Amino acid sequence: MEALGHLLQGFAAALTPGYLLYAFTGCMLGTLIGVLPGLGPAAGTAILIPLTFSLDATGAIIMLCAIYYGAMYGGTITSVLINVPGEAASVVTCIDGHQMAKQGRAGSALGIAAIGSFVGGTLATVALVAVAMPLASLALKFGPAEFFALMVAGLCLVVGLAGNNMLAALLMTVIGLLFAMIGVDPVRGAPRFTFGVEELYDGIGFVPVVMGLFGVAELLLAAEKRQTHMVEAELKSWMPTRQECRQSVGAISRGTVVGFVLGLIPGVGAIVPTFMAYVLEKRVSKTPERFGKGAIEGVASAETANNAYANASMVPLLALGIPSSPTIAVLMGAFIVNGITPGPFLFKEQPALVWTVIASFFVGNALLLILNLPLVGLWAKLLKIPFSYMCAGVLIFCVIGAYGLKQSLFDVWVMLGFGILGYLLRKLDFPIAPAILALILGPMMEKSLRTTLEISGGSFGIFLDRPVALALLTIPVIVIAFLIFKPRSLAPLRESDIE
Amino acid sequence: MLMRRRTLLAATAAATVASPAMAQNYPRRAVQLVVAFPAGGSTDVGARILAAAAEKDLGQTITVVNKAGAGGQIGFTEVARARPDGYTLGFLNLPAVNTIILDPERKAAFNVDSFIPIVNQVLDPGLIWVKGDSPYKTLADLVDAAKKAPGKISACTTGILSDDHLAILMVQEVAKCEFRIVHFDGGAQQITGVLGGHVDCAFDNVGGVFKRVQSGEVRGLAVTDVERSKFLPQVPCTKELGMPTVISSSTRGVGAPKGTPADVVKVVETAFLKAIQSPEMLQKMDAVGLALKPMVGAEYAKYYADTQAQAKKYTEWALKQR
Amino acid sequence: MRQGRLVATGAMLAFCLFALWQSLLLSLTDRLGPGPGFFPFWLALIGIVLSLALFVSIWRESPPAADGPAEEARILPHGWGAIRCFAIIGLLAAVTVAMEFVGFRIAMLVFNAALVIALGERRWWLIALFATLGSFGVYYVFTTWLDVLLPTGQFGI
Repeated sequence: MEALGHLLQGFAAALTPGYLLYAFTGCMLGTLIGVLPGLGPAAGTAILIPLTFSLDATGAIIMLCAIYYGAMYGGTITSVLINVPGEAASVVTCIDGHQMAKQGRAGSALGIAAIGSFVGGTLATVALVAVAMPLASLALKFGPAEFFALMVAGLCLVVGLAGNNMLAALLMTVIGLLFAMIGVDPVRGAPRFTFGVEELYDGIGFVPVVMGLFGVAELLLAAEKRQTHMVEAELKSWMPTRQECRQSVGAISRGTVVGFVLGLIPGVGAIVPTFMAYVLEKRVSKTPERFGKGAIEGVASAETANNAYANASMVPLLALGIPSSPTIAVLMGAFIVNGITPGPFLFKEQPALVWTVIASFFVGNALLLILNLPLVGLWAKLLKIPFSYMCAGVLIFCVIGAYGLKQSLFDVWVMLGFGILGYLLRKLDFPIAPAILALILGPMMEKSLRTTLEISGGSFGIFLDRPVALALLTIPVIVIAFLIFKPRSLAPLRESDIE
Repeated sequence: MLMRRRTLLAATAAATVASPAMAQNYPRRAVQLVVAFPAGGSTDVGARILAAAAEKDLGQTITVVNKAGAGGQIGFTEVARARPDGYTLGFLNLPAVNTIILDPERKAAFNVDSFIPIVNQVLDPGLIWVKGDSPYKTLADLVDAAKKAPGKISACTTGILSDDHLAILMVQEVAKCEFRIVHFDGGAQQITGVLGGHVDCAFDNVGGVFKRVQSGEVRGLAVTDVERSKFLPQVPCTKELGMPTVISSSTRGVGAPKGTPADVVKVVETAFLKAIQSPEMLQKMDAVGLALKPMVGAEYAKYYADTQAQAKKYTEWALKQR
Repeated sequence: MRQGRLVATGAMLAFCLFALWQSLLLSLTDRLGPGPGFFPFWLALIGIVLSLALFVSIWRESPPAADGPAEEARILPHGWGAIRCFAIIGLLAAVTVAMEFVGFRIAMLVFNAALVIALGERRWWLIALFATLGSFGVYYVFTTWLDVLLPTGQFGI
């Protein structure tokens, strides 16, 4: 009850015209950063920090949060329109989002993404207000053993999506993990698989890989078919139809729960919740064969989970003082610079500020919806550009994206190589998504396994002593059992292989 | 082939960079400060405060980039390999930089000369801490437990061969006990690890948990220094606890990759030193429990060289323990 | 299709074998538990088993009927489509090489013009406008406003 009173005061503060203006500007700039290549949300947020210098602490943090939400949404736009995910969180959106765009439903996809993001973000913030403190301590139960088990379970669930193609999906996962091994060993520091090539010391960059596997491969497929437009279908809808909204209700509510729960665990990253929500949606769907072919639930679940995750990941920051992603770390930096040390003491020491910031999460989510819904049509219109120009434009975009993060032409070659690879794999019906997930999770998985074994003194028995880890590890066992015994019930999934 | 082309490129780049016009224009765009430990630890907190303050004097954004892993090796490698144009600076943790270089197994892609130490910010003494409700009330309790059950009490570091790791080895040596050593990446993981009950105690620095010690969430057992920390006057130091040889701290400052032009280094030095000496810096650092130790030029260079020499002794000794 | 999948699986098998060999050069364990070679070693081993299993399972699939060869041909691009594909790949490779020497602006100017022409555009004024905006314009926006560094080549252009 006391929390509610604080929150109302927070709203009173966040809704003053000055703060509203900061939130509005932040959302706009954030969306722009998310759309443009070469700047991830973290770098983008960091570059805009000076804008907030002239503001007071609350104003600065409100604006930064708005930039963060905006940047997350910006990645969605490029995923749907040109199949280029700007960052990990929007990889899943590509799967069905771009297919929807190809069917002339780009407006629906972007619209449902905005709505889902709003609902997911808002509900997650409500949950944050209600249960932040008790749940924060639950997150501490997640040690390295549980973390490793969660990563393995996540990978296996995504493999499980592939139906009869599961063996190929499993192999792609292993290949992705092996690619993740390139670079400096995250524990002992020895360089691995670098062959004396200096550029490989940092490992294979995620952005050039996805830009190749998704963006360049998509262009090659379209060019081969001699398309006149990247999307040949007529633009059918500007907004999700009533029926599409009805289809998405379940997906949005489940996505919120998945995103929120995983957001509580520091270090999971946005890609896991989006994949998990997608897997869940396909499992509960009565028509799983539509997934991967433009199912609106796929977009709705992933986008909702992404935003619910973004909001829930504020819980570890506010309640434990632990930043759970690079972007949150930038936000934490802003807190610290303004003389606020995030941690459990924050709620006691500076309640007015904390609750104003939480209220501004609501405001930021709402503004994002108000700002983006009218623009959906405008974005979708970009698809009218003829293929020749679109192709050149997307390639400029991908080159800047791959080069910009590390100023390395090597990364442009990586993008080109993975573009050709992605084209071949798509043709040969090898699923790509598991490999991408594995590439991101690989280093975290290895690190947590090795830390677990340090804690246990080298014994794998530690996984049996920990109920949560054990429960999570039964998932891969089930997946492998399915693989060996091939129950007939999985057969209908064949056609809906996730790409 | 590839290497040769890179050298050629590097030479061209250096030639362009070294032209006098460069420093006048520097900095023309955002500067990256690479932090080799993850967000939320004491290294990161200090670096972010510094970056925000120096930004105003430098006239450009300073972006803090966390490149964590392998006890800092991943981040330091990135700095050493960066284009020496002043747009990539590194936050150097001593002795972590030195121990990495000195451990042959790590095959570090950099050496002592790969960095130009520019300006030091912090000297953060080590702190041994446990959970607030832990049965170990003093360092003696902890050591006794480790003696009774060798290799059963787990102690976590912020990275392999970091100052914290060395401190554990020093305590083991002096007290003739054995901990189970767990290497985490930085302070934030230690906090979840210890508060979640996954490990028993943590060796970190005062700045990492200062606020939490004050609030009673964690309990400081000992500061690994010859005197108590001004931030935690209630926590005894190792010298008064009868372990005068257990002395360890982390010194952190800003450096640049080898080859950065001297005039650019000067610009960086001036801006960062001004920021470090400002009264607001002192006030903000006090709030997070970090002790300032400004050093520039020859003094800092000597400190860097001395640390290398000392670290050699400890690393060789630590490697023998392995 | 079937043949293509077999070849791809074979390539992955070779990749895993290579990774296995490489991981054996690293230490599998050290005093503190698993070493740098531990994870890649087991991954490569699992990868070898999986790729063998996949190879066998594709092999055992009944080969497609008479239209087999036609099906095979479709894995690699063919006809006009192929020319367009190779134009994209070739130009992208060329621009990456060129950027190192002549910088982003000039390389992209030529790349843009060449690509849209290759993809069938013939209105010269539109080509010129697009190529300029997509190189000099983009360069200006990204380096001046967004602090994203783009290649300037050997002569600083």
